[in-house]
Amino acid sequence: MIPVETVRRVLAEALRNGGDLAEVYLESKETLGLSLDDGRLERAIRGNDVGGGVRVFYGETAAYAYTDDLSEPALLEAARAAAAAARGTGAPRVLVDLTRRQSPLSFPIEKPFEALSEGEKAALLHRMDETARRHSPYVTQVQAGYHQLRRRVWVFNSEGLWAEDDRQILEFRIAVTAQRNGVLQRIGSGVGGQMGLELLDRDDPVALAREVAESAVIMLDARPAPAGEMTVVITNGWGGVLFHEACGHAMEADFVTKGTSAYTGMVGERVASPLVTAVDDATLPGRRGSFRFDDEGTPAQRTVLIEEGVLREYMWDLTEARRVGRTSTGNGRRQSFRHMPMPRMTNTFIAPGPHDPEEIIRSVRRGLFVKRLGGGQADIARGDFVFSVTEGYLIENGRLTAPVRGATLVGNGPQVLRQIDMVGTDWALDRGMGMCGKGQVARVSVGQPTIRVPKLTVGGTDQTITGQMGV
Amino acid sequence: MDYLQLAEDVVKRVAAQGAEAEAYIVVGRESQVQVDQGKVEKLSHAGSKGLGVRVIVNGRMGYAYTSDFSAASIEETWRAALALARAADPDEHRVLPDPQPIPDEDLEVFDPALEQVPMEEKIAFALAVEEATLGADPRVALTNRCTYADSVASVYLVNSRGFAGHYRHSFAVSYVIAIGRDGEEQTMAFGLDASPFLADLDPQAIGQEAGEKAARLLGGQPVPTQEGTVVFSPIATAELVGALAQALTAEAMQRGRSFLLGKMGQDVASDVVSLLDNGRLRRGLASAPFDGEGVPTRATRLVDEGVLQAVLYDTYTAHREGRASTGNAARSSHRTPPTLAPTNFYLQPGSLSPEEIIAGVEQGLYVLSTMNTGGINPVSGDYSVAARGLWIEKGRLTYPVNEVTVAAPLERLLKQVQAVGNDLRFVPFGGIFGGPTIRVDGMTIGGR
Repeated sequence: MIPVETVRRVLAEALRNGGDLAEVYLESKETLGLSLDDGRLERAIRGNDVGGGVRVFYGETAAYAYTDDLSEPALLEAARAAAAAARGTGAPRVLVDLTRRQSPLSFPIEKPFEALSEGEKAALLHRMDETARRHSPYVTQVQAGYHQLRRRVWVFNSEGLWAEDDRQILEFRIAVTAQRNGVLQRIGSGVGGQMGLELLDRDDPVALAREVAESAVIMLDARPAPAGEMTVVITNGWGGVLFHEACGHAMEADFVTKGTSAYTGMVGERVASPLVTAVDDATLPGRRGSFRFDDEGTPAQRTVLIEEGVLREYMWDLTEARRVGRTSTGNGRRQSFRHMPMPRMTNTFIAPGPHDPEEIIRSVRRGLFVKRLGGGQADIARGDFVFSVTEGYLIENGRLTAPVRGATLVGNGPQVLRQIDMVGTDWALDRGMGMCGKGQVARVSVGQPTIRVPKLTVGGTDQTITGQMGV
Repeated sequence: MDYLQLAEDVVKRVAAQGAEAEAYIVVGRESQVQVDQGKVEKLSHAGSKGLGVRVIVNGRMGYAYTSDFSAASIEETWRAALALARAADPDEHRVLPDPQPIPDEDLEVFDPALEQVPMEEKIAFALAVEEATLGADPRVALTNRCTYADSVASVYLVNSRGFAGHYRHSFAVSYVIAIGRDGEEQTMAFGLDASPFLADLDPQAIGQEAGEKAARLLGGQPVPTQEGTVVFSPIATAELVGALAQALTAEAMQRGRSFLLGKMGQDVASDVVSLLDNGRLRRGLASAPFDGEGVPTRATRLVDEGVLQAVLYDTYTAHREGRASTGNAARSSHRTPPTLAPTNFYLQPGSLSPEEIIAGVEQGLYVLSTMNTGGINPVSGDYSVAARGLWIEKGRLTYPVNEVTVAAPLERLLKQVQAVGNDLRFVPFGGIFGGPTIRVDGMTIGGR
C-alpha cells in the first residue's frame, strides 16, 4: 500500500536515536454494518479506516505513535515522535533488506461479500426477523445484524520483516425478546467466521433465528435459579468461554511476566485434571480468531497450553517475549493501528475427552445444565470468575428438567480446571461470534466438549433449595 | 483546514441531491503513558480525525465515515451514505432536529493547559501514581497497567436544517491496578480518577485507593448464603446506576425493553432515591453544550423521591411520541451515528456520611467492588453480580469477603434502598455513572 522505499525511510527515522527494534504497521479496514430492529432496517453504515503506527523498542520501553495520514511526511513525523519518546542514545542502526514472508495458510473466500447487494443482505435480516416472529406469538422484539469486515495489515520491522495479511470476517447476530404475562426474556446469539458469504450454506442465520426464538420462549417458563454449590454441566462450543476468561487470560504472557497470573512459574506443573488438554490455534481456516501473521508479523501457530493437565506454554507477543529473551508464539494482536499490540488469545479451546455427553448428564443426581452462557469476566490475579447463564436447566436424577433464569456461575478458574471430572467426546468450537475485551477488542473463538464440574457456586435469587443440591 | 467549512460543504452537496444531511467531524490529539517499576513501559502519542455523514431520504437513513480527508474519499463517503439510505427501510420519525439556541455558559469541559503539558509531566504523574500504590500498604506487591492518558478534541456538527456548532473538550484519566499479596494469595483492586481538568486529578489519592483496597481484600472468604443488608460503596452504586440507566431511555420503553415499562408516575423506588441525568453538569465528563445531533443538553429528573417521572429522549424517540428531545443523542466517535444514551447519570446524594450508614447496620456486606458479566438484566429486572468487600458486624467493618454474589430483582432492590450517602462519585465505565454509598436491605447474598 506504500512503497517499500518509504517504509525503509520511516524505519530509519524511527531508529535515528538508537533503539533495539523499529516497526511500521499499516492497516486498512473496510466495513459494512446493517441492523434491523422492530422489523425495520434502521442502520446501514459503511466505513473506511486507514492508518499506520510506528513503534520503537528501547530496552523495556515501547514507544508508539500513530496517524491516520499515510503520506510519507506524516509517517516520518510519527517515526520521529516514537523515536523521541524512546529517548534512545545508541548509534543509528543499519537496516537489513526487507523480505516479504509467505504463509503456508490459505483462508479461501468462496463467495465474496460483493456477491450480494446491500438490498439482498437487508432481505436476509428481514427473513431472520420474520422467522423468529413466526415461531411464537410471544416473540415481541427481534434485533438482527449483519457485519462484514475486510482488514488488511502490513507489518515491517528493522530486522527485515515484511508480512501482509488480508482478513475477511462475516457475522450475523440476532437477539429475540419473548414476553408473556409480564415476564420478559431476551436471548442473543450469532454465527460467523473468517469467510465470505459461503457462511450462508454452512451455518444458516435464518435457522439460528428460529433456535434463538425457541430458547427465548422456553425461558419464559424458567423459574428463579437456585443459589448455592452444586454440580454443573457446561455445554460444548460456546461453553469454552469459561476457560477463555477464567484460565486463558492468565496464560497470556503479560500477566505472567508481571507475576500477576495464577499460572506464573508453573510451566511443567500439573494445573488441571488429567482429562484437560487446552490449545490456542490461530491456524484454523474459517475461524474468526485466525490469521496468517499476527499483528506483529509473527506467523500463526498452534500452541498447546495444557497437555493432559500439565501446563506447557503461555501465549506471547514480541514485547513480552523480548522481555525474557525468547520468541513470540504469534499472539501479538491489536484492535487497530490506534493500539499497541498485546498478547491475546486467538481460537482457544479444551480438547475432546472420553465421555459420552449424554452419560455426563445422566451422572448428575441434582445440578445445573448450562446451555447458553452470557458474557463473563475474570480477575486475572486469582482467577475468580463470574458468568451469567442465559439459558440453563435443572438436572434432576440424570435428566434435564425445568429451565431456570437469573443464574450466575461464580468460582475460581484454576480450581475448576483441577476439578473437572468428565470431559465429553462432543468437541466443538463456537459458532463465530466471540468478542474479547482486554482494554482492546479482539475477535476470538472459544470451544470445548461438554464438561462436568462436580462443585461450583451458583448465584441466583432462589434460596429455597440451598444445601440440597449436589451429586 | 477549516473543519466547520468542510462539514458545511458536505452537507450542501448531499442536500443538492434532495436529501437531508448531517456532517460530524472530530479532530483530536491523545497521549498515553504506562509505567512499571519506576520505568516507562508504554508510551503513545497520536493525532486523529474523522468524518461521519448521516443522510436521510424520506425517513430512510444511511451512514458512512472515513478517516481520509482527501476530496475523493470525502465524496465517496457521502455518496456511500446516500446509497445506503436508499437500501434502508423508511421510518417517518427519522428526522434531523431543527436548530435551537444553545445557552451561552461555560460548562468547563475544556482544559487549555492539557494542550501544553509536556510528556515528561505525564510520565511523572504516572510514576507518582505507582509510588503511591506501592506505598499504600506493605502487602501491595506490584502494580498493573499504571496509566495516565489524556485527549483533547474539537467537535464540529452541521446539519441541513441550519444547525452549525463547534466546541472543544478534554479528558484526563489515570488508573492503576494494585496487586496485593500474602503468601500464596493475591488480590487485585483498582484506583481511578478522571476529569476534563488535569489539575483535578490527584496521583496520591488514585494510588492509595488501589493499594488500600487490594490489601484490605486479602484473605477474603465467602460467607454463608443468606438474606441480608448490603451497603454499596460509591463505585458499586455507580455500576448499579449504569444498569438502571439502560431501563430509563425512551428506546427501552418504546420497545418494551425495560422492567419499568408502564410504571410512569408510579412509586418505583423508596423515597430516598432520586435519579438524574445532567448533560450540563459543570466539569462533567459527559457534559457538552449540545448533543450528538445538535440539540442543547439539559438536566432531566428521571426518578424523583421514588416516583418515576421521565425517561431520556433523542430526536427520533421524541418524534415518535410527539415530544421534545432531552438532548441525549450521544456520539461515541465519528464511526457511529448518534445513539440515545445517558450523559452524566447519577443517583442524587443524601446527607448521611458513609460511616453513619455503616454504623447503622447490625450485620451485612459492605461491597467494595462488583463484577457484572450479564447478571444484570434491565429487561427482566434480574440483578445478580459477584461481589467483594468487608463484612459488617454491629456497625463495624470486619473481615474481608470474596466469592459471593449479591442478587435481588431490581424492582425490589430499588424499593429497599434504606439510606443514601453524601459521597457521590462518578466513574467512566461504559458511560459516566455516579452514585454515593447506599444501603439496601433484603438482598440475597449467595456464598457457601
